[in-house]
Amino acid sequence: MAPDGTPHPIRLVVADDLRRSRLTVFFRLLLALPHLVWLTVWTVAALLAAVASWVATLLRGQSPAVLHRFLAAYVRYSTQLFAYLFLAANPYPAFDGAGGYPVDVELDPPARQSRWKTGFRMPLALPALFLLAVLTGGPGGGGSSGDEAWLYASAGGVAWAVAFLAWFACLARGRMPRGFRNLLAYVLRFSAQVSGYLFLLTDRYPEAGPTLPAAAGQPPEHRVGLIVEDDGRRSRLTVLFRALIAVPHVVWLALWSVAALAAAVLSWLLTLVLGRTPSPLHRFLAAFLRYAIHVSAFFWLVANPFPGFVGREGRYPVDARIDPPAAQRRLVTAFRLPLALPALLVAGTLGVALAVVGLLAWFAALATGRMPRPLRELGAFILGYTAQVDAYVLLLTDRYPYSGPPAERLPEPEQPLAAAAA
Amino acid sequence: MTRPLVRAGLLTTLGLAWAAAAALLWQSRVPGDLALPDLDAGEYFAASELGRARRYERFLRLNFVASQVVLLAVLALYAWRGHRLLRESAAGRIGTGMLLGMLGLAVVWLTQLPFGLAALWWDRRHGVSREEYPLWIVDNWLGLAGEFLFVCLALLIVMALAAPLRERWWIAGGPVFVALALLFTFIYPYLIPDLERLRDSELRTEARSIARSQGIEPVPVRVEDVDELTTAPNAEAGGLGPSRRVILWSTLLDGRFPDEAVRVVLAHEIGHHSRDHLRKSVAWYALFAIPGAYLLARSTRRVGGMGNPRAVPLSLLVLFVLELLALPAQNVVSRHLEAEADWVALETTRDPAAARVLFQRFTTTALAEPSPPTWSYLLLGSHPTIMQRLAMVEAWRAGAPNPNARPPDR
Repeated sequence: MAPDGTPHPIRLVVADDLRRSRLTVFFRLLLALPHLVWLTVWTVAALLAAVASWVATLLRGQSPAVLHRFLAAYVRYSTQLFAYLFLAANPYPAFDGAGGYPVDVELDPPARQSRWKTGFRMPLALPALFLLAVLTGGPGGGGSSGDEAWLYASAGGVAWAVAFLAWFACLARGRMPRGFRNLLAYVLRFSAQVSGYLFLLTDRYPEAGPTLPAAAGQPPEHRVGLIVEDDGRRSRLTVLFRALIAVPHVVWLALWSVAALAAAVLSWLLTLVLGRTPSPLHRFLAAFLRYAIHVSAFFWLVANPFPGFVGREGRYPVDARIDPPAAQRRLVTAFRLPLALPALLVAGTLGVALAVVGLLAWFAALATGRMPRPLRELGAFILGYTAQVDAYVLLLTDRYPYSGPPAERLPEPEQPLAAAAA
Repeated sequence: MTRPLVRAGLLTTLGLAWAAAAALLWQSRVPGDLALPDLDAGEYFAASELGRARRYERFLRLNFVASQVVLLAVLALYAWRGHRLLRESAAGRIGTGMLLGMLGLAVVWLTQLPFGLAALWWDRRHGVSREEYPLWIVDNWLGLAGEFLFVCLALLIVMALAAPLRERWWIAGGPVFVALALLFTFIYPYLIPDLERLRDSELRTEARSIARSQGIEPVPVRVEDVDELTTAPNAEAGGLGPSRRVILWSTLLDGRFPDEAVRVVLAHEIGHHSRDHLRKSVAWYALFAIPGAYLLARSTRRVGGMGNPRAVPLSLLVLFVLELLALPAQNVVSRHLEAEADWVALETTRDPAAARVLFQRFTTTALAEPSPPTWSYLLLGSHPTIMQRLAMVEAWRAGAPNPNARPPDR
C-alpha cells in the first residue's frame, strides 16, 4: 500500500486452506513439467508483447488494453504456477491464467503511466530485480556451472529453500505450515509486482514490504518478537561509514558469542534436567540475543543510532522482545539442534535477502537521508524471524519460529450501540 | 601559599626527572665531538638528479602542508560541531564516545583522500609507486577499519578511567598507553603479512656475522614483497626479544643495490636492535605521551573532561595539535637514533664506499632530496638528510684507522 493508502494495482489474493494432497505433493515437480514447457513458450510471447507495450506506452502514455490483458494473464499464470510448484497452493492450475486460484493476483485495468518511468523502466527495475533474485533464487540460478553459481542458488533462494522444507512437511502432515505458505505468498506477490512493473502493467514500483492480505492470517503469538520504533531518518555520515563503524561491535559480538555458546550448552543441560532455563542464564542469553539484533539492525541500516554494547532492553529503536523464562518440553529441548535445522536454513536464505536490503538501503539512505519504509519493514521482518530462530536455538523458548510475514488488519467491525454500552 | 609552592616543587621535580630520563636515552655511540664536513651535493650527484629529486619532493611537501591545513580546519570544525552527532548514538557514554571518535576519523579520511590520491599520482608519475588507484583506495579503506579499532580501544581506556579518576585519568592512562606501545612494538613483525625468509644464503650469513660483531644474538631477516606497490627501497627493524626481526623490502634486493650496500642496510637495521632503539623509542614515547595525556585532560576540562563523549571531537583536535607541535622534537629523537644506527653500521662493515653508494642510490631511486629546506627537515625529517649521512661517512672515513679493513670476525 502506498503512503497515501492507495492499494497497489497488483494485489495478492489468498484463499488457500493449507490442505495438501500428499500424492500431488510427492510428484509436484514432475506434475508441473507441462506447465513449465507452456510457461517457456508463453514467456517468449510475453517478452515480445512487453517490447510492443513499452513502445506503445511511451507514445500513448498508457498500455494498450489488448497487450495489457495478455500480459496480465501471463503474470497471473506464472504466479499460479509457482504457487503450485512451491506448494503455496494445492490444486493443479489452469493453463490460461484465469482468476480464482487459491493463491492468485488481481490486476487493475490499464491506467495512465509516467513516460519518464516508462522510458527508464529497465534500469529502474534493477533494485527490485536484485531483491527478487535472492527471494526466489532457484537451482542452477545464474546459468554458470561454477561454484559461484551453486552458492548463489543455494544461498539466495528463499522460495526454493522454503519449498524444499515444505515438501517434507506436507508429505508428513498433509498440510502446509501457515508460516511457510505465507512467506511464499509474499515472495509470489513481490514477484508478480516486479513482473507487472517490467511488463508495463503499472508504473507503481513493486512493494518490498512483507505484508499480506488479511485472509492469509496473522502470525500467532510468540514469546519472542521485534519492537520497531524507528523514525526512518538516517545520518548520511554514519551510513557512508556504516560497515567500518560496526567493526568494534562485530569484534565484541564475536567475543560474546564464545561466552554465549558455552552458556547455551550449560543452559541446554540444565533445561533438560529442570524443565526450564535458569533465570541468570536466560538473562545472559537474552541480552546476547538482543545485542546481536541491535548490531544487525545497525549494520544493515534497519535502524539508525549506534547501539550500546550490552544488549540492554528498550534502549534501541529495533529491539527484541523476549519473554521471561517458562517451562519447556524436555523432548523438544533434547532434540533442539536437529529440530532447529529447517528454521536455520530459512533464516540463512533470509539473511542473504537482508544483505541485499542493506545494500539497496545504503544507496537510498545516502541519497535521501532516509530509509525506504518497505525495505525497513522487510529488514525488520527478517530480523524478527532471526530473533525467533536464535531464541529457539539458545533455549530462550521452545516455541518454534514462525516464518510468515504479518497480514493487513481488517477494520474493527462496528459494535451495536447496545453492546458498546454494555 | 603552600599549595602553589608544592605544585611548583612537584613540577620542577617532574621536569628534572624528564630531563634526566631524556639525557639517559640520548646516550649514543656517535662521538659527541664528531664534526661533520660541509659537503657539496654537486660532487655526489649530477645536476639532473638533484633537480629531479627537488621537483619530486617539492610537490609532496606542498601536498603535505595543504593536507595538514585542511586537516586542522576539519578537526576544528568537528570539535565545534561534532557534538551534534551525539543523537546518532543509542549506546552509553563510552559507546557514544567511540562513535564520535570513529566519525571524526571518518571525516578526516574523507578530506585527506584527495591529498593521498594526489601523492599517489605524483609517485606513479615519477615511477616511485606502482600501486593502482582502486587498490590504494581499498587498502586505505581497510586501514581505516584498523584505525577505528584503535581509536575505540583508546577511548575505552580513557573514558573508563575518566569515570572514577575524572581529570586525573592521565596518571593511569599514560602508563597504560606506554604498555600498549610496548605490546605493539613486540607484535609488530607478526602483523605484516606474507613475510618471507631471506633466500640469499650469503646475506643470511652476513646478517649473523654482523649481529655477532655488534654483540647480540643473530636477528632473523625477513623480506617483504612490495614489488607490486613501489620501487622505493626501504628496510626496518621491528619486534622485541623473541619477536625481533629485520625486514628488507624486496626493492632492495632487485639488483639495483650491490651486495655491499645491502650489507650496510643490514648492519644499520641490526644496529637498531643492538643499540636497543626499539625499547628506547617506547621510552621516548612515554616521555611525550604522559605529558601529552595530561595536556589532553586539561584541555578537555571545559567540555566535561574525557569521561564525557562531548569531549571526544575536541580531544581529536587537541591530539592533532599536540602531535604537530611535538613533531619537530620527535624528529630530533628519530634522527638521533638513525644517525647512531648509521654510525654502528659504519663501525661494523668498515665499508664507507658501500655506505656512500647506498645513500647516493636513495636519491636516484627513491628521489630523496639530499638537502631539503630547513622547515621540511624539522617537520618531516625522521632520518638525517642524505648529505648528513654522506658527511658522516666521510667523517668516519677520516677518523677510522683503516677504513678499508673488514671486521676481524668476517
